[in-house]
Amino acid sequence: MRRFIVFLVSAALGMVSPVAMAAETRIVVDGSTTVGPIAKQFAQYYMSKHPDVNVTVSESGSGNGAKSLVNGTCDAASMSRFMKDNEFQAAVAKGVMPVAHVVAVDGLAVIVHPSNRVKDLSLAQFRDIYEGKIKNWSEVGGPSLSIVKVGRDTNSGTYETFESLVMQGARVSGDTETTGSNGAVRARVQSTPASIGYVGLGFVDRTVKPLAVNGIVPNRETVASGVYPIARPLFLFTNGYPKLGTPLHGFVTLYLSEKGQEIIEAIGFVPVTDY
Amino acid sequence: MRLGTRKLIDRGMTALGIGSIVLLAAALLVFLAPIVVRGLGAFVFRGTIEYRQLTLEKFGRGDVDAVEAEQAEAVEARRPVYEMLSAYKKELADGHESLDEAKKQFRADRKEMRRHEGLADQQRADAQAELDRREAELDRRGEQLAKHEASLVELEELIRELLGPEPGQSVPVLWRDQYGQTRWDRAQVKLDQILNVETWVDQDDPDQPRVRVLVPRADAFEGTTLAPLFPYIENNAEAMLLPRLTFYWRFLTDTSFDAHFFGGIWPEILGTIYLTLGAMLFAVPMGVVAAIYLVEYAREGFLVRVLRTFINTLAGVPSIVFGLFGLAFFISTMHVSPSKSVLAGSMTLAMLILPMVIRASEEAIRAVPATYKEAALSLGASKWWAVLTVILPAALPGVLTGIVISMGRAAGETAPIIFTAAVSVGKPLWPWEALSQPTPALPWNIYNLATEHEAVDEIRHVQYGMVLTLVLLVLLLNAAAIVMRARISKKLRA
Repeated sequence: MRRFIVFLVSAALGMVSPVAMAAETRIVVDGSTTVGPIAKQFAQYYMSKHPDVNVTVSESGSGNGAKSLVNGTCDAASMSRFMKDNEFQAAVAKGVMPVAHVVAVDGLAVIVHPSNRVKDLSLAQFRDIYEGKIKNWSEVGGPSLSIVKVGRDTNSGTYETFESLVMQGARVSGDTETTGSNGAVRARVQSTPASIGYVGLGFVDRTVKPLAVNGIVPNRETVASGVYPIARPLFLFTNGYPKLGTPLHGFVTLYLSEKGQEIIEAIGFVPVTDY
Repeated sequence: MRLGTRKLIDRGMTALGIGSIVLLAAALLVFLAPIVVRGLGAFVFRGTIEYRQLTLEKFGRGDVDAVEAEQAEAVEARRPVYEMLSAYKKELADGHESLDEAKKQFRADRKEMRRHEGLADQQRADAQAELDRREAELDRRGEQLAKHEASLVELEELIRELLGPEPGQSVPVLWRDQYGQTRWDRAQVKLDQILNVETWVDQDDPDQPRVRVLVPRADAFEGTTLAPLFPYIENNAEAMLLPRLTFYWRFLTDTSFDAHFFGGIWPEILGTIYLTLGAMLFAVPMGVVAAIYLVEYAREGFLVRVLRTFINTLAGVPSIVFGLFGLAFFISTMHVSPSKSVLAGSMTLAMLILPMVIRASEEAIRAVPATYKEAALSLGASKWWAVLTVILPAALPGVLTGIVISMGRAAGETAPIIFTAAVSVGKPLWPWEALSQPTPALPWNIYNLATEHEAVDEIRHVQYGMVLTLVLLVLLLNAAAIVMRARISKKLRA
C-alpha cells in the first residue's frame, strides 16, 4: 500500500516538475478528415527529419479545425474548404490572421457500390438524388432499388464543398444518412448495394466504384485542370504566415518540396503543381 | 400449494438460473473470443520476407546476414515473374510495331487505290470493301492492344502491392509502397486479387443489381507469353515471400509509422495510461474527501439532499457532454494548456468518474461499524483523527475497489477525450510534455482506425490489436483491484 502511495505521489511530481522543458517543439494540427491522410504523412516525414519535434494530427472535421485556429488551440488547421465569413470575422476579432496554404487539389468522387450498373451521373441528377427528387436507381438507369443517400455532417468541409458545388442552394433531403468522416462514408457505401456517397479522391479504393460526373471521370488530370466539376483545393490555415525557419514554417511548406508532392500523389490526391 | 408443485417450481427456477448463466457465458465467449483471436493476430502472425526486411531497415532489428540470404532466395524466386513481365512488354511493343507497319501499308494501299481512277465500278467496290475489312481488322487489333496494356498496368500494380517495388526502380516515398505485403494473411488477399479479377455482371432482369463473379485473370492474357505467369505466382507465392511464424511482442512498445501501417501502439498505450492516472490524480482526493464530508460531517438536511441529487445527476450525464464541457471550460475558458492536452483530458475524465468515486467511497465508509468510531472517540481521539486512522483504513478495500473500477471506466472512455486530449497520430510523450501536448489514446484510435483511416481494410489487425490491448488493460486493472482488496482485507483482519 505504502509503495502504491509513493508511486502515485512520484507520478504526480513527475507530471509537474520540468514544465519549462515543453518548448516550441510541438506542432498541433487539427481539422479535416479529408486532409488527414496528407497531414499524417507530412507529420511522419517531418518528424523523421526533425526527431525533436512532435507533430500531432487530429481529424475532427474542417469546422473544428477553423474553431481551433480561432481559439488558438492549434498551430495549423487542415481544412477541405475555405474559411467562411463568420469564421474569418471571429478570427480577426481575436487577433488571429488566417493565412491559407493550398497543399493539394482534390476532387469529390461520387461513389456507389460496385454492383450498381450506373456509370455516369449528370450534376443535375446527382443534385436531384440528394434533394430527394430521384428516389430510385431505375430512374437513372440502374437497378430497381430505392437510393440510400450517405452524406456528411455540416462540420465537414467536404459537405460544404458538396453543398456549394452540387446542391447550389437546393436543400439536402432529410432522409440522407449523416456520417462523420470520409472513411465512414466509404464503409457505408461498400457494404450497401443501393447507396451513394461522396468522398475525397484519396479515399477511393477498389471496394467502391467512382462515377463519372457529367461524363468526366475524376482523376489527376481532370481534377487538376478543373474539368471535373466537383474539384476543390485542400488547405492548411495558419495564424499569419509562420515565422521563417520555425518548425511550423517547415511543416506547412512541405507541400512545395518534391517529396511533399510525391507524398500527396502517393496517397491519391493531386499535387498543386506539376513537379 | 402442494409439495409436488412447489418442487416443480423450484426446479424450474434452478434450471432457468443455470440456463441464464450458461447463456451469459456463451454471450461473453461470442463477444470475447473474436477479440482475443483477432487481436492476437497483431502479435502472432506469419511474417513474410518483406516484414523482416522492413524490421531490419527501419528498426535495425534482425540478423543482417540471415535476412540478406533470405532476400537473395526471394529475389531468385521472383526473377521469373519480372522476366515474364518484361517479355510480355516486349511482345506488346512488337505488337505495336507490327500494327504501325500494317497501318502504314494500309494507308499506302488506300492511296494507291484512289489513284487508280480508271477502274470499273465493280472492281472499285470490291477494293473498297477489302479496304474497309482491313481497316476494321486494324482497329480491332489496336483495341486489343490497348486492352492488354490496361490489364498489364493493373496487374503490375497488384504485383507491386504483393512483392514491393521491382528491384532497381526508384524508392517510393511512402513506407507502405516501399515494401510488399508484410503479413502472409494480407499477401493471400492480394494473391487472390492477382489470380482473379472481381467483375460485376449484369443480370437478365435490368431491375436487379449486378452480381459479383470472379474471373481468372489468366483469361485476359490467354495465348500471350504472360499466360504461364499466373500458375507460377500461384505455385511459388511461398517461395517469393517466405512466410514464417513471427512473434511481434514489440507491437506494445513500438511507435507507429506510416499512419499505423507499421510499428506498434506504444504512444496509444502510454497516452491511455497518462490519461487514466491523471484522472485518478484529480478524482481520488476530491472524491474521497467529498465522501468523508458527506458521511461524517454533513448534517442531513436540504442542502445535503440537493448535493446528493447533483452527484447522482452527474453520474447520469452522457460522456460526450463531459467532453464538450472539458473543451469549453478547461481549454477555451481556463486555458489549462495551449491546445488539447493530456492535462485537459485527465481533468475531463476526472469529472466523469468523480461521482463513481464519491459513491463507492461513501458506501465503503458507511459500511464501517459504528463501534470502530465510538471506540476511537472514547479513547480520546478527535473526530478527524478517528476518521483518518480508524475509519478510512477500515473502508480502504471498498474505496480502492471503487477507484480501480472507475479507473477501468476512465481508460475505456472515448467521448470525453475526443475534444480535449486525443489525436490520430503523435509521439509518445514524456510526463512533463503531457501537461501541454495531446496524445493518441487507445479508445479514440480504435474509433479513428475503424471509421476515418484512409486504408482501414489493410490494417484491421492493428485495430484488433488495440482492442485486445485495451480489454486486457482494463482486465488487468480489475484483477489488480481484486488482489489489492484481498490483501488489505487480510491485513485488517489479522
